Amino acid sequence: MTANHNELLSALVDGELQGKELELALNLIHTNDDARSQWQRFQRTSDIMHGHSLSLDNIDLTTLLSQRLSQEPIYSSASDDKTAKIFTFTKPIWKQAASLAVAASIGALAVVGVMNKPENQLIPITTQVAAVETTAAPIITAQNSKRWTVSEQDVEHRLDTYLVDHNEYTGASGVFSYARVVSYDEGQ
Amino acid sequence: MDLELVQRVQAGDKKAFDVLIMKYQQRIVHVITGFVHDPVEALDVAQEAFIKAYRAIPNFRGDSAFYTWLYRIAINTAKNHLTARSRRPPAVDVDAMDATNYYDAAELKEFETPESSLATDELQMVIHQAIESLPEDTATAIKLRELDGMSYEEIAQVMDCPIGTVRSRIFRARESIEQQIQETMNEGEQQ
Repeated sequence: MTANHNELLSALVDGELQGKELELALNLIHTNDDARSQWQRFQRTSDIMHGHSLSLDNIDLTTLLSQRLSQEPIYSSASDDKTAKIFTFTKPIWKQAASLAVAASIGALAVVGVMNKPENQLIPITTQVAAVETTAAPIITAQNSKRWTVSEQDVEHRLDTYLVDHNEYTGASGVFSYARVVSYDEGQ
Repeated sequence: MDLELVQRVQAGDKKAFDVLIMKYQQRIVHVITGFVHDPVEALDVAQEAFIKAYRAIPNFRGDSAFYTWLYRIAINTAKNHLTARSRRPPAVDVDAMDATNYYDAAELKEFETPESSLATDELQMVIHQAIESLPEDTATAIKLRELDGMSYEEIAQVMDCPIGTVRSRIFRARESIEQQIQETMNEGEQQ
């Protein structure tokens, strides 16, 4: 037992050891009787200074308990994780609830809006554009349409392609298709 | 203070639990003796309390000090023991907070036997004298630690010195106190 060892035991009494030093102190207490006695003396002095009354007899419950404890399970970090984790909200719960309510309201409005549009069809635009591509007519014009008029066929074709891509992409991602709700061309 | 040891037990280190037993066995047995007066029986109850604590330690999350938690288990075990034996638990109820605020816990003082009280008082006097004979910086370090309950880091700030210095001062103080206690005990045996 060196002075350093004793200093380590003194720090253990104060709960000021961590990592390797704690490991070393624990090993000392378990393998060296002198270290064990020294630590217990330090502990007793500390207890008395804190005002704790002690039993007169030298009690050693570790010996009495060793057999019973050996029959007890050894805990693992995994079981610790199971019990020690506490679910915590990163934001206040009312903020999360408000966000959820807003999102639900928008979703509900969108569904109601779509259901109230009798002309709405699920796959109108793609089929219509496909029809545009295959027809021979150079310029498509719709009467009483809110659709803008584009005289150049190339530009018209590119716009149609963009809308089809957008529609398919948003539909595939599970998001309610914006193109289906606002409708590219109300008249068609 | 004991959280590091508790976490080690929770991770499967039984040696760490042995240290917790050694650290608190005297106090726990003493508290249980207030309920169960027979010393042998009290030891059995104390063992039971430690086993219960070991089984429950995975659920210990450090919301309170480990000793407060252990203390509560010990009190409940002692009360259950008396109930099982059809004896009435003492009328004095001990709140778990007494474990941490021991200085004000008049109820716990009632559990002291005259012998243990005398021994504790004698030792306290020896310790007090030993501290008075220490160099000033060493005496201050141990007082801040033991009487004011400061951590090494806090003491280092107060005393404006490195934590390592605080650690060695406290150790030197304990060594001197220990030496004084041994001398007093030796004198007592010779008389």
